[in-house]
Amino acid sequence: MRVAIVGGGLAGLCAYATLRHGGLEPDEIVVFGDRADPTEAWVARARAIRQQRMRSESDGHVAATSFPGLAVRTALRRRSPAPLALSVCNRYRPTVDEFLEHAARVRARSGWDESFVQRRIQHVRAVEDGFELDGRNRFAHVLLALGHPGLARPPELEGDPRAVHAYEPHEYADEVEVVGAGMAAATEWLNALAAGASVVSVRRREPERRPLNLPRPLFTRRGLAAFHRTDRDARVGLLRSYSAPSYPPGRGWDEPLRTPRFRVAAELNGAPQVICATGFRHGFAEDEVLRRLAEDHELETADRWLVLAPDSTVPALTDETRTLSLAGVQAQWAYPAADTLAGAKYAARGFLRRVQRCRTR
Amino acid sequence: MSYTLRGRIESRLAPLLFTLALALVLAAAERAWWPLQLAAVMAGVGLTLDVLVYHPVLEYQPGWLALPLGTLELGLTMLAARALGVGAPLAPAVALFAAGWLAAQVLGHAVLPLARLTYAQDGGELGRAGIGVAAAVVAVLSGAAGTAYAMRPPVVHLAAGVHRGPLVIGERETLVGEPGAVVRGGIVVRASDVTIRDVAVVGGANGIEVDEAQNVLLDGVFVSGAQLDGIHVRRSSVEIRDCTIDSGENPWAQGIDISFSYDLPPSMVKGCTITGGREGIVTHSVQAMLVGNHVRRTQLRGISVTEMSMGMVEHNDVHDALGIGIYCGDRSMCEIEHNVVSGTRIDHASGDSSRLGFAIEAWWESEAALKDNVLVGNPQGAGSFSSSRIHWPR
Repeated sequence: MRVAIVGGGLAGLCAYATLRHGGLEPDEIVVFGDRADPTEAWVARARAIRQQRMRSESDGHVAATSFPGLAVRTALRRRSPAPLALSVCNRYRPTVDEFLEHAARVRARSGWDESFVQRRIQHVRAVEDGFELDGRNRFAHVLLALGHPGLARPPELEGDPRAVHAYEPHEYADEVEVVGAGMAAATEWLNALAAGASVVSVRRREPERRPLNLPRPLFTRRGLAAFHRTDRDARVGLLRSYSAPSYPPGRGWDEPLRTPRFRVAAELNGAPQVICATGFRHGFAEDEVLRRLAEDHELETADRWLVLAPDSTVPALTDETRTLSLAGVQAQWAYPAADTLAGAKYAARGFLRRVQRCRTR
Repeated sequence: MSYTLRGRIESRLAPLLFTLALALVLAAAERAWWPLQLAAVMAGVGLTLDVLVYHPVLEYQPGWLALPLGTLELGLTMLAARALGVGAPLAPAVALFAAGWLAAQVLGHAVLPLARLTYAQDGGELGRAGIGVAAAVVAVLSGAAGTAYAMRPPVVHLAAGVHRGPLVIGERETLVGEPGAVVRGGIVVRASDVTIRDVAVVGGANGIEVDEAQNVLLDGVFVSGAQLDGIHVRRSSVEIRDCTIDSGENPWAQGIDISFSYDLPPSMVKGCTITGGREGIVTHSVQAMLVGNHVRRTQLRGISVTEMSMGMVEHNDVHDALGIGIYCGDRSMCEIEHNVVSGTRIDHASGDSSRLGFAIEAWWESEAALKDNVLVGNPQGAGSFSSSRIHWPR
């Protein structure tokens, strides 16, 4: 076996489905991960914030080809054109349950379980013609889909018994402060208000309002071409600006906030419950596998990002005989929306091209 | 989708291959070039919009925009086709456009994303296949253009001087007269796809006779001294432009007589000057457009649309006709608009009350719709006889 995916989450499943679509057999691929269910980590966070619908649209799925999207699949299943009409107007948001059903089907059909090995990889090291994982297994082509390196909490709330992260299971007190202003925070405002709580949104800057977490041209070559042409400092600046919090526009988000029980504040004020909707820790150095990889091989970095080629590969460790690719949030240097399903597929397709091009696969 | 410029062009050209294939089939079935010409106009309009409008303006194109943009392109394509003289009938032309548009939607939303993993993320680009698609489109269009060029009728130049007639044209050809070229004794056309341009004809039973032919163009011909008709058309479809016919005082001559082709494509007479003779322009059982002609000194009628013809008689100038200026007779239907009829004379010798100098006349169960005609110095204005009707639509 010559191809390995390190990481058994959604990005890993996208990569696996893409490799299978590209003609690789299950016995040619090994997937290393903590949990056999590729949706488990993601669904725990979605359940924690009581997420009902996806932020992504019809093509936010884990299958290899963008068609048929979730709108088409739902329309066929329900025998209704409504999802298609909504999708044409960019107003189709699949439910979390629809997405999970789809992911389960892809998992079953792709043969994921045949390739899955339950093991957490601690160390990736480049060797001649490939990569050694934990000093044991060697692979010519490795895709690292390691996921987020952990939940981010404001330092001043570390150890504070009132504080809970939005992505951890929780109920709501009568008065809740929600720190952050992104999608998770907005979801928590609505959840807490629906539960009868008074809500204070603690934020230092106003969130942007956009349907997806980045402007749409950045999902295709149109926006990416300019992004890839930027020099190192400019790209760091862009990536920092892209990390500004945002959530979708629409009355569904705005109407519930028009109540005296909701207000905005710049500082915490001593409420009995503080929900940290502050996302994840940022940067390759927060991930032990990537930090060691960068140190061992003196990889080029820029600020908190590993410098990658436009196809999400690590340039110093990729050539005609071997490939090291990154997928997920750590691949933002190549694809700013890397932490989305579209980003996972972008990396997977680049990885597949490299694998197919290599005669010694 | 956020298209790149190359992606837009390649995503435009891929479905155009389908449209071109459809146009080829249609062209073969109809034995006409308009489907391919229309497909080329569609490509030109689409690519122009892609480069000059869509790419700079639409950074992101939502799916719903396909419908208004398609409607805009349909309108612009039809206007461009008309301006370029593409003779496409409206309904089939719209159907061809609609089929092409539908193919583009199916290809762009389903087939290409299935066939090419990175279609959407590449902004609609097709990679190496895109170059092949572009080459195929260019090959089909240039092949069609080359074929059309190669199939043009041969051009025969008639040298200056007098040529003895009658000239009989039995094969498709373009006959072009050099300045001073004269045919004495008439020309007979017995083949379709014939053009006669800038030729003077003197004498003959008929000056130019067209029998059982279609797509015949008589452009800038001069006819004089014919014993019967200046231009005599039977069971044919013709376009006669900018002709000059002088029938002199011949009491039996008709300037232009187009007859018995009701079931054929309409004929047109435009911009001709006809002087003398019995009737200036006459149609029998024909669909015809008679536009912008000047008719002078006729002995029976200036312009006649008769024997179950359907005629549009517009922007003509009829002067000094004996008896009747413009005539719509024998169960014909006529639209008579924006004409000037002047100086019509009473035909005392006929003893016929319908020939008392009517500028416009409907006769024997005919219907004439009159609009914005100028009638000057005629003994009678408009008159109807024998169960005919004249009406003036608002």
